[in-house]
Amino acid sequence: MALTETEFLELEDKSRELRHLIVDTVQWAGGAHIGGSLSAIDIMTLLYYKYLNIDVTNPEWGDRDRFILSKGHIGVGLAPVLADKGFIDKQELKTFNHTGSSLGIHLDKNKVRGLDASTGSLGHGLSLALGTTLAGRHQKKDFKTWCLLGDGECNEGSVWEAAMAASHYKAHNMITIVDRNMCMMDGSTEDVMALEPFADKWKAFGFHVIEVDGHNLKELAEAMEGAMDYTKGPVLLLCNTIKGCGVEFIAGDYRYHYASFDPEKHQLCKDQIDQYHDLRKEENR
Amino acid sequence: MAGLTYTILDAANMSTAEVYGKALEQLADNHDNVVGLTADLAKSTKIGVLAEKHPDRLYNMGIAEQNLFGVAAGMAGAGLVPYVSTFAVFTSMRALDQVHTDICYQNLNVKMIATHAGLSFGQAGSTHHCTEDIGIMRTMANLTVVVPADGIAAAEAVTAAYSKNGPVYIRLNRGYDQPVYDSSTCDFEIGKSIELAEGTDLTIIACGAAVYRAREAASVLKNNDGVHARVIDMHTIKPIDRDAILKAVHDTRRIITVEDHNIIGGLGSAVAEVMAESGKACAFKRLGVPDTFSIIGLHEDLMANYGFDVNGILNSARELMNMDFEEDDDWEDEL
Amino acid sequence: MSVLGNDDIYANKIFLNSVLPLLKVIVEDVPSIGNYWIGRSAVCQVSAIGPEEKVGTHFVIDEGQWTVKKGIYDGEPHVELEFPGIEALNSFFQGKSKKLPKMKGWYRLGTFVNFMKVLLKMAALLGLEKPPETQEEKALLVKMYFYLLSAGISQLNKAGHKSISEWTKISPDRVYAWEVETHPDCSAYMRVKAGKSKACRGIYKRSKPFFTMRFDNCDSALGILMAIDDMIESTVKGKLKMVGGPEYGAQLGDFMLMVGDYAK
Repeated sequence: MALTETEFLELEDKSRELRHLIVDTVQWAGGAHIGGSLSAIDIMTLLYYKYLNIDVTNPEWGDRDRFILSKGHIGVGLAPVLADKGFIDKQELKTFNHTGSSLGIHLDKNKVRGLDASTGSLGHGLSLALGTTLAGRHQKKDFKTWCLLGDGECNEGSVWEAAMAASHYKAHNMITIVDRNMCMMDGSTEDVMALEPFADKWKAFGFHVIEVDGHNLKELAEAMEGAMDYTKGPVLLLCNTIKGCGVEFIAGDYRYHYASFDPEKHQLCKDQIDQYHDLRKEENR
Repeated sequence: MAGLTYTILDAANMSTAEVYGKALEQLADNHDNVVGLTADLAKSTKIGVLAEKHPDRLYNMGIAEQNLFGVAAGMAGAGLVPYVSTFAVFTSMRALDQVHTDICYQNLNVKMIATHAGLSFGQAGSTHHCTEDIGIMRTMANLTVVVPADGIAAAEAVTAAYSKNGPVYIRLNRGYDQPVYDSSTCDFEIGKSIELAEGTDLTIIACGAAVYRAREAASVLKNNDGVHARVIDMHTIKPIDRDAILKAVHDTRRIITVEDHNIIGGLGSAVAEVMAESGKACAFKRLGVPDTFSIIGLHEDLMANYGFDVNGILNSARELMNMDFEEDDDWEDEL
Repeated sequence: MSVLGNDDIYANKIFLNSVLPLLKVIVEDVPSIGNYWIGRSAVCQVSAIGPEEKVGTHFVIDEGQWTVKKGIYDGEPHVELEFPGIEALNSFFQGKSKKLPKMKGWYRLGTFVNFMKVLLKMAALLGLEKPPETQEEKALLVKMYFYLLSAGISQLNKAGHKSISEWTKISPDRVYAWEVETHPDCSAYMRVKAGKSKACRGIYKRSKPFFTMRFDNCDSALGILMAIDDMIESTVKGKLKMVGGPEYGAQLGDFMLMVGDYAK
């Protein structure tokens, strides 16, 4: 078992806490990319609270693990994590997206402590991750580089350029994760620009593919450890997720890619998050 | 061969690109964090020279330019100093999103060596020409833009780029350039233009392949027309040497710019910006590619065709010398 | 009347248009002479009866302010020195003849006497064989020479003097300047372009002159201007700097001598 029972319960509580913080930040911002943040938060919880070898006091540490948020538009999902970890001041979340703020839709690594790359234009992250991995190899360092992509993002050709190159260079120490929430802005991925057979595509490009439920912490942890142990080449964690996961009235609905709520809806979100997590904790003990 | 103005013997001494390859090799010898990248153009861009001595330091990313620049950015983010080389047309257009967002916006130490710029790959046609890149790269914040005149200058630029913090764009030709400098005469410093000839009748400001031609034209003007033209090698387009331009405006009041680039947006425009803001009257002419897609041909022939070879410069200079721009109505002596 | 030779015409132009205008400089720079004219108004003229028409230079004095005007005054000047012919005017100013011109308006004693004072002062200064004693007079003389020479060369060009006009014809737009480092207000310059020329007073500010003859002080300047010193020696000693090609300096020096020859 990758997670002990205690770890599991702690991580469950943490992901609940972070869901609340995301929804609050969306409120303070007056609206943000909530759907894709909620589908990715369980992945990011495990990374930042169990697997990433990082040092809050030394964000530039040369041997640290890297996390590249290729689906850069979920800044509102990552900023709360960085705040909760202590990289940035929690109070700053209240200024999210305000004029002149250091925090906005697409996080800027020159303004946000603890962020490894400025992203926002889709399809760049995998190249950045590959470059980071190759640099580590050149410097004879052993850190891991994690890269989180959206599924719609995989329409971009540059993603496949990077995939081809990653395979050519047998880039292990680089773990790619796709947040497969089946939604993009104009509809479901399969209606707008079909990706299936998705796993096959990655395999054809030379990736070892591990499919997993992106909201089951125990299974996700197992999959992550399996990915970390794979050394023959690049590996993909294909996480099946639900856009807006945790808030029932938006879950699975592509229209909540970006949303803003009135105080009533905001409270509804928070209540539904608690209901969701109560249920999930019970089911997965 | 029609169009070439140098002999086979000269060609051996000439290749801009090879000289820079050697400079890169030296940098790699002295600094562990220097690596090279290319997109299946190691031979054409001569960055392959690096691989001869340091095979593990040259990364070929195949014919995938967007990934090429993204990977370079990732490497720079992790502390390396990557030199990325492909054709200028691909650096400045195909991979521009990566150049803009991954490299310039994040202000990373990526040194981009863009070869085959201007019309230097003449016979390949517009798909491989690049007469827009200076204009495009000038508008990228954080980016330093350098257009060296010959092989020696290119080597100097490549070396200087290492010490310059942040992204650098170096624009080279195909590798068959007449030499302008020898190693003792090139006093290269990013941001400081080089005066190649003195004069106060007019100024010819040039960059890249046009520098040699400007210098030749000035020579003819002096010996033939008795006109003393100042020649400036404005190798750094950004940050441009404003002082040299302002001095030329004041001292000579006539400026011609010459570049292997569209007359819109490149060196000419950059000089015009400084001139116009100075508020001082100055006769001005931009020579280069006249906002058109070029015909195919040898580089030399194309420069002649579009009027920015030696003869083209001479004609423009002579025209400019006859232009009236100062109060010319009153020729009565002061009493 | 004998037919006027080119040299006579050139000399005349130099006297009328380069030498006589210096009267204004005297009035402005020498208080003992200039003070008389404060608040006064008059028109004074120096003329000669040429073969086809009367030529001359007149001075319009308005409330003490002198304006030099080329040509004959359209009206009756208060005071006029009228020479019977161009050669007569030339000879008089060259100091070869002492024959006085017709003095019109002599009964306006104040104006007449003081106009003659200005003329005589100018003649005295230009006739000096050795440099004057005081710094003020030295500076004034340098200024007069610079103005005279620049205007003289320009006048010769306009009159079609062979070697000078050939030179200006092929010249691109260039400015030639004369300067003294210690006395910037003594400067003069000449603009030349494709056959045209214009002499100006002061420092050329618009751009860098193509050539500048720069003296380190008034003594050095007068040394050359009064043909006491040798140009090459002065250059070697650092008294004279040729800023721009030295070959242009030599040419300019030749033209300056030409003007001097006509004026002597």
